[in-house]
Amino acid sequence: MRRKLTAALAFASMCAFASAAHADNYEIDGQHAWVTFTIKHGIYGTAHGQFDAVKGAIVMDKVDPSKSSVKAEIEVGSVHTAYDQRDSDLKGPDFFNAAEFPAISFESTKVEKVSDKTGKVTGNLTISGVSKEITLDVTLVNEAPAPWDATLTKAAFTATGKVSTADFPMAKAAAGFGLGPDVDIVIDLEAVKK
Amino acid sequence: MSALLGNPMVVTAALPLLLGVVMGLLARSALPASVLFLLWAALLLFFYRDTLGPPVVPPVAASQKLIYLAFAGIVLGLLSEYLFERLGTGAARALVAVALVAAFSWLGWRRIAGGALDLQMIAAIATGLLATIGAALLAPPRASPLPRAEEPFLVPAAILALCLAGAIISVLGASIVTGQLLGSLAALAGGWCLIQYIAVLRGGEAVALSRGTGLSLIHAGATVLIQVALLAPKANPAALVLSSLPPIVAALVQGPLQGFVPGARPLRPLVAGLLIAMPAMLAILTALVWAPHGAALGFS
Repeated sequence: MRRKLTAALAFASMCAFASAAHADNYEIDGQHAWVTFTIKHGIYGTAHGQFDAVKGAIVMDKVDPSKSSVKAEIEVGSVHTAYDQRDSDLKGPDFFNAAEFPAISFESTKVEKVSDKTGKVTGNLTISGVSKEITLDVTLVNEAPAPWDATLTKAAFTATGKVSTADFPMAKAAAGFGLGPDVDIVIDLEAVKK
Repeated sequence: MSALLGNPMVVTAALPLLLGVVMGLLARSALPASVLFLLWAALLLFFYRDTLGPPVVPPVAASQKLIYLAFAGIVLGLLSEYLFERLGTGAARALVAVALVAAFSWLGWRRIAGGALDLQMIAAIATGLLATIGAALLAPPRASPLPRAEEPFLVPAAILALCLAGAIISVLGASIVTGQLLGSLAALAGGWCLIQYIAVLRGGEAVALSRGTGLSLIHAGATVLIQVALLAPKANPAALVLSSLPPIVAALVQGPLQGFVPGARPLRPLVAGLLIAMPAMLAILTALVWAPHGAALGFS
């Protein structure tokens, strides 16, 4: 009886190990991450912006993508739009409120495979203390060892999504200045396999 | 009508100025003080809602807490009408101070928890402290049997000066919405002062704001100024500290600064007003001269 139990436990451990072995852990490479957004500027053009400071972790399970996950944090103070005063306005309490909420965070709750290279990542985006569920369309652009260093494996992803300023504390200010409400997000990032 | 109310200049300046004038005229009619207090409370909440949006439950960001603090200020004002005489001056002042310190802590707890004692935080603490002292000093006005001509103007002039300076500092410091709100409060107080001063010029008596109304308005101005000091990334620290001084000067005009107020009756409110506005004018000058590069009055 004891032998059977030991064998069962050993088998269960092997299964768990095998499952975990499919999940690769990646760390977002902040030097190669571009979190950009566009928003309608009143009745005129489209304004562009970018966050420079991004960090986070990605777990990618190719066998069972539903076990994959993403957790990322963006530094609000790193926003820039090619105009200093506008950057200050965006960091101020009317918009991203950097002094009170220095980071924007995203934590996935569901990952679905669409095709071999594409998927949908649903999660909670938290801006200025308010969380809202969003879904990002994600493409795995490439995953390969670096040509200059075979021990370094990187993966590159592109993600697109849409949020609304109306869902966050910036709603009133954005409406008052004729911005949005729809914000298109495009994320291009590389991640380093750990 | 909605397009008109959507124009920031109308909501920030013209409409509140007009409503301040209306309130000034209503105060000169036989309207009961309780009705006037309720009208002021409704106006205050209207401008908060119009500028900041509807209340959010529960409030998360400091800007979402402001409307709740306005409501708390109204309750404090209401209490002051019935309680302050019984409490005595010291306890009444302590109550006002505790209310504003609590407001500061609530608005700034994330920054306080962050632990960074940078220049902005030091300026915010100084601004909050001075605004609290001023509001506490003005809260239980001395009941003069024969009020001087300038006395009814002290509290509204302090509100006008603090809010006007705060509005300009806020907008130049990249916090436009709070700038609009402070502008509305300044215009409300300005409209009131205008009507009362015309009455003095015509040989009549100015009507004072009730203690509760004055306290609600000062509490509102002080809490919004504290929010600007805590969170506006480019608000000038020196200007912020100067902008919090008008209520203290208003309290001093009743005492040590009395000698600066001339004997001629129509001039007394004017000179008292100028004395109260002096730190605010310095604050505006400081904010304009040392404005961040490229600062303009509006989103870019």
